[in-house]
Amino acid sequence: MSASPVIALESVSKRYGARTVVHDLSFTVAQGEIVGFLGPNGAGKTTTMRMIAGFIAATSGRVTVAGRDMATENVDAARLIGYLPERPPLYDALDVSAYLRFVAKVKGVRRAAITGEIERVATACRLEAVLDDEIFKLSKGYRQRLGLAQALLGAPEVLLLDEPTAGLDPGQIQETREVIRAFGADHAVLLSTHILAEATLICRRVAIINHGRLLAIDSPTGLQNAVEQTNRVVLRVTAEASALREALMSVDGVRAVDIRTDAADAGVLSVECQVGAHDRVEAAIARAVAGRWDLHQLERRQPTLENIFLRYVQERPERGEVA
Amino acid sequence: MNGTGAVYQKEIATYFRSPIAYYVVAVFLLGSGYFFLYNIFLGGETAMAGTFQNMGILLLTLVPVISMRLMATEYSAGTAELLLTLPLAPWQIVLGKFLGAVTILLLIIAGTLVDLVPLYLFGTPETTTILAGYIGFLLLGLACLAVGLLFSTVTHNQIVAALLTAAVLLGFWFVGHLQTFQASPAVRSLIGYLSFSLHFTDFIQGLVRTEGVVFYLVVTAIALTLSAGYLQWRR
Repeated sequence: MSASPVIALESVSKRYGARTVVHDLSFTVAQGEIVGFLGPNGAGKTTTMRMIAGFIAATSGRVTVAGRDMATENVDAARLIGYLPERPPLYDALDVSAYLRFVAKVKGVRRAAITGEIERVATACRLEAVLDDEIFKLSKGYRQRLGLAQALLGAPEVLLLDEPTAGLDPGQIQETREVIRAFGADHAVLLSTHILAEATLICRRVAIINHGRLLAIDSPTGLQNAVEQTNRVVLRVTAEASALREALMSVDGVRAVDIRTDAADAGVLSVECQVGAHDRVEAAIARAVAGRWDLHQLERRQPTLENIFLRYVQERPERGEVA
Repeated sequence: MNGTGAVYQKEIATYFRSPIAYYVVAVFLLGSGYFFLYNIFLGGETAMAGTFQNMGILLLTLVPVISMRLMATEYSAGTAELLLTLPLAPWQIVLGKFLGAVTILLLIIAGTLVDLVPLYLFGTPETTTILAGYIGFLLLGLACLAVGLLFSTVTHNQIVAALLTAAVLLGFWFVGHLQTFQASPAVRSLIGYLSFSLHFTDFIQGLVRTEGVVFYLVVTAIALTLSAGYLQWRR
């Protein structure tokens, strides 16, 4: 991480009556950083995005964007924020260019620069073909891209994107990711997504949230290393089960061994060894097995972000920030 | 003012890309035209007083149609999330939307000016009385639209907004009738002061009284302030 934080949440909570939907949330997003926001439905992602965007105020704690307190300076800070809510906020009665013109004017784009600015975002979001179309006629993909285009208007310093690729086809997803990646190179981006591969591909850090609590925030690699238990070495061996178990457990670094018969191949055992994330034990396992039995396969399997996400949201709801 | 202007332009574009503005203006002009012809040819009146009275009631029924969508559709369409996260203060949103609705009111007023042509061609109406009537109609319209905007701001449902607006406006219109049932002069005076119709009657009789002007402007200001306050509070 390089620059100072552009988005900062300090012990932020949001309550609706007796129900607390966000608990004591703290994290930052720096300039030149894309942070992915992961969590199941109802985890508090959208509420958090709305607090950062200034749509709702935090019940307690402090949200700042570019040093401006969103409780008191939200109108001033709004000039620096591009926000795409979960449901693209479009006026169906307007045509695309009239809609973008409205947003550009409100964002303070100079009158002489508005046409150029609309062309810039229309090109970036591939909207040139529909600029004169009424919004109610647009397909879901175009609606989503128009929502992104309005967020990019006025050269904001911060981009808040709630499910930006929802409803897009694979080609459009690729293009949208490129737009976000290019913007994120020198701006701060907070990106809420359900697509874990998306977070891995374009985010420098990933925040996992559930029940309104931040469970973890780290780089995808850092998260993989933090979840030690899910590192596995998988083998296929022709051997006698008890002797094989004994041999494997004697290898330094192997914590547990699970042996099953291979249904597809009689006499062959499928073995799963639990190992520490930092232990490089594949060679020792190979040495322990290869001399005595026929080793058909040996492979280390690192946890996918999906595994990590599921482990956090299902098993560790009370865990605190790991980085 | 850029933000207010942008909201205003968006409102006007939205009004005229839907049938609402055309419907409201057409229904009002048909209705007021009918009452005008009735009063002139059947009532034998060469003044606008009777027509203004009918226009006031017609306005009460059409204001909810103009105002119900102002904020309620922003909530239901999800565009409130854009509007309230753009660099716009709540008062700019409220003022831009209010001025958009007032433009429809001004179109209605402009349309009724046609009625004056035969009046001046075939009679000698009192210009100052007509002018006072139009001032009263404009002020009544401002207050009604502001109340309508307030109810559209506090509910997500257009129909609920329209019904609440209609109920409150009719209440303010007919509250003057309760004077008959009150013995206390203070209560009678208060009821009289709160009556939209009694103040309006002064105007259509040619009396532009400070009390009436202030009343309508205060109602307008209170309703607009409450609307902006609600937008701020709901965060």
